[in-house]
Formats: sequence, structure tokens, C-alpha cells
Amino acid sequence: MLTVKTDRLSKYYGQDLGVRDISLEIEEGEIFGFIGPNGAGKSTTIRTLLGLLIPSSGSAQIFGKDIRKFGPAIRKRIGYLPSEVNYYEEMTSRELLEYHCRFYDIYNYTDIDRYADRFELDLDKQITDLSFGNRKKCGIIQAFVHQPDLLVMDEPTSGLDPLMQNIFFEMLQAENKKGTTIFFSSHILSEVQNVCHRAAIIKNGEIIATENIQTLLKKQMKKVTVSFKQKPERLEYLIGSQNQTWRDDVLTFEYVGPIDTLIRWISNFTLHDVILEEPDLESIFINYYENENE
Amino acid sequence: MKMNRNLYKKELKRNRKNLIIWTSIVLVFTILVLSIFPYMKNIGDQMAKMMSELPEGMTMAMGIDAQTFNSILGMYNTYYGIYIVVLLSIYAASTAAIILSKEERDKTAEFLLTKPISRKEIFVSKFFVLFTLVSIAYLVQTIIAVVFITMFGGDDMMWPVFITMHTHGLILILFFTCVCLFISMLLKPKKSYMGLTVGIVFGSYFLDKIAKATDVMDWIGYISPFRYLNFSVSDPNYGVHIIAVFLSLLVSIILIILSNKLYSKKDIAT
Repeated sequence: MLTVKTDRLSKYYGQDLGVRDISLEIEEGEIFGFIGPNGAGKSTTIRTLLGLLIPSSGSAQIFGKDIRKFGPAIRKRIGYLPSEVNYYEEMTSRELLEYHCRFYDIYNYTDIDRYADRFELDLDKQITDLSFGNRKKCGIIQAFVHQPDLLVMDEPTSGLDPLMQNIFFEMLQAENKKGTTIFFSSHILSEVQNVCHRAAIIKNGEIIATENIQTLLKKQMKKVTVSFKQKPERLEYLIGSQNQTWRDDVLTFEYVGPIDTLIRWISNFTLHDVILEEPDLESIFINYYENENE
Repeated sequence: MKMNRNLYKKELKRNRKNLIIWTSIVLVFTILVLSIFPYMKNIGDQMAKMMSELPEGMTMAMGIDAQTFNSILGMYNTYYGIYIVVLLSIYAASTAAIILSKEERDKTAEFLLTKPISRKEIFVSKFFVLFTLVSIAYLVQTIIAVVFITMFGGDDMMWPVFITMHTHGLILILFFTCVCLFISMLLKPKKSYMGLTVGIVFGSYFLDKIAKATDVMDWIGYISPFRYLNFSVSDPNYGVHIIAVFLSLLVSIILIILSNKLYSKKDIAT
């Protein structure tokens, strides 16, 4: 069964394009990634699905119900973490989370403390006094606490330190094991690779591909920097590498192909250092689609 | 018409402080005006004589006439029409302008609108909050006025006139509330609507006064609700202006319906 289904969903702000013809299908129980550079339309899509924006055309269903007609019923089963957490400044986290729970007819607040312990959030501090990261924690609890069937996460890790990111991903996986569907939006490719089963790639307001993560990984380009102890006299470039540049004894190139082959090739030489980097998203896309067209 | 109690309660709490401040101001003013009446009464005749020598336009603009210092009603009316109604209108209208738009400006709308609650429910709940706040401020002021008038000079008090004044006052307050609620739906969310609110309320008030003081500008007063819902208690035919009350309420209801429509179709930007 599909948890989210959008059909040519479009949003224009007057004449300006927000997103165009977004068609997505997210299976129940899936962790679905939504990846694209900043400003590509990730948040616009999410905000339209949640009813914050009114779609210009197209339609969308969540849990099989139309988003325009059944907004409240749908949202009752959604947990949403916005990319920027903005809450009532005069409230404490506890007051806010209890206020949140009452919208879902939850009057037993023990879960709030349980989550707060896990994230090391001081619930009795006013929201004004919270750092960006702590606000985010409050936002995460707010998304999880009412046990939703669909979690919508918009840039969830920004502002969280690595330790908290780990706790967050553990929790995400645990929720998913219980059957929660997760819609995970991010501009960080490695995050999406690590947690998602499938991902849609969005650019300039349009979805350019929906891929299985494994496929994406296979096609994924690495930026390789090899620093030779001694520059080899005769060097055969590896198949799948491109844009080679030399600076003294340091070779830099982009590589698409099996990672084992790359390691084996590198091991032929005596080296000072090797750096394998994830290139920025933009160049991955460009590369990905160049390869696709060949 | 479904109201969300969770939202209603939280909003009331959030607006509590502001309500207390504004109601206190209006109350202190009411009590002050009424408690100086016994002292003014003794010099009332002299004052009345002095008043009659002032240019008519000036006394009109100030809302003072010969009766002002002679009866407690005249005294109260002078201040009620200008200060109390205007102050209560500004309080009510500025609260109305901000009650929905503040969520947008502070970006808390993203929190509220992603809850299992419809926009209509939010609108209705917020409207009830507004209605509750304005009713409390209005009723407390009216009750205190009744108490102090009775204490300081209730013997020859003309209560029907008092009722007319307060009916006109209430309708004016409600009217400005709805106008500013509607305007806030049209504009981009602002930090404060105080300037706009004061402008509209005071503007209407002075339009009426200017028109009354100068014959040349008479026509301009017709657009001010103060002209119809007036406080000219010295007029022997003074009574509730039924048509004006009816029309103001009608316009107010239309503005509420339009505001709800606008709100239900609004994009909540980041």
C-alpha cells in the first residue's frame, strides 16, 4: 500500500515556480529519501503535503486520503520535523510538548520525559533560551512523541552534534522497524545513502529521478586525491576515472565504478596519502546524468 | 463551527497579560473621571458659563459642552466617547490584527497548522479568544462605570442614555475589531499593527469631529462610524441608532466571513 502518492503536484508562487509536476510514490514502511540542493523545492513539496501551502495544480494522497479534503485526519498520523524549528518563545519545551500532545488527545506525558532523557534536553528551559541544536531536539521529540505512522523529516540533522545524530538515526531505524514510514529530506547525500531504501532527486523544482539507493551508490562518483611518494614513470589511468589533474606528485581525479577496483589500483603504488571524498551534490548529479545519457 | 479547546485555552493564557494592562488603564481612567465629579459639581455653574463663551467649534472638537460639568452623565460621556471607546477599540482591534498574523510572523504557524486541526477550526478558536478578551474588557469597564456612577451621583442619573452610549460603544469596538482582523489577512505579517490600528480608530474619530466643527468639510464625516454611533447625549432625541447598529454588525459579519475565507486559502510562507 502507498503511504504517500502525489500526482503531478505543482506549486507556483504567483509567476515563480516552487515545484512542478511532482509525482511520488512512497510505500508503506519505507524510508524514502528526498534529495536535492538547497532551494530545489524539497521544503515546498513537504509544506504542500502538510497543508501549509495550497497546491496550484495536481493532487496528492496520504494514507489514501486527499490532502485537501482530509488534512486534519491525515495530520493526526503524521510527525513533522521542520528544517527550521520555530516555537512559542514564552513557553518551555515541556509546555510546548504537552500542548502538542493535547492536539492528538494524548494526556499522559510520560513519553515526553523519556525522549528528553534520551536527547539530554532540559524540558524546563524556556524556548527563547535554547540553542539551535536544542530547539532541534525539541522538534524531534515533537515529531516522534505521538507515535505517528508517517514521519516527515526536513533536514533533520542540521544543528545536531554527531552524538545526537547517532541517537537520532537509531531512533529513526527503530521507528521504521515498527512499521513507520519515513520521508527523509536532505541535501546531504551520505545521510540519505545510509538510511534510505529509495530516494527521489529533485532539482530546480522538478524530480529528475527516483532511484534505488543501491543503484545510486553504484553510479556514485568519488573524488580521489592520491599523493605519491614517487611519481610513477608510466601510469595507466583507471577505467572510470576522469578529469585527472596533477600538482607535483599529487594526482586528483573523479572516479565512477566499483570501489574495490579503485583500492586495488591504488595499492600498486607507494603513497604518502589518499583522500576519498564525496563531491558536492551538484557534480554528482551532473556526472550521474552524463553517464545515464551515454 | 468547531472550536479547539486546547488552542483556545493556550491563546487566552497568552493574551492574559495584555488584557490586564489594557483593562487596568481603562478602569483607572473610568474611576478617575467619575471620582472627580463631586468636586467638579460645585463649580459646575461657573464652568458652564465659561464653556458657553468658548467658540463652538472648539468645544465640539473636545467633546465638551455646557452640560459636561453639571451632571455626572455629562462628565462621564465626555470621556467615554473619546477616551474609553477609543482605547478599548484600539486594544480590541490591535489584538484582532495580531491574533492570527502573529503565528505567521513568529513562524509558529508551521507548528500550529501541521497539527490535526483545520484552518477553519483555528480561525473559529482564535475568533472566540478575541471575542472573550474584548467582552471581558468591555464588561468590566461597564460594570465599574455603573458602580461608580451609582456611588457618586446616581440620584438623577439617566440610565437609558447610559445604555445607549454603551451600546454605541460596543458596536464601534466590534466594528473596528473586525476591520483590523480583515486588514491583517490582506497584509504581510507585521511586528506590530499598533500604528495602523491607532490610525484607523483615531482617524475615524477625528473625521467625525472635523466634520462637525467645520461646515465646509461636513461631507467627510459621513464615512466615519462615529457620526452614526455617536455620544451626543445633550441631544433630546438621543437614542440607539438602530440602522447604524444593524449595518455595522452586518459589515462586521461580512468581514469575519471574508477573513475566514482568506485565511483558509492562505499560503504559509517560510
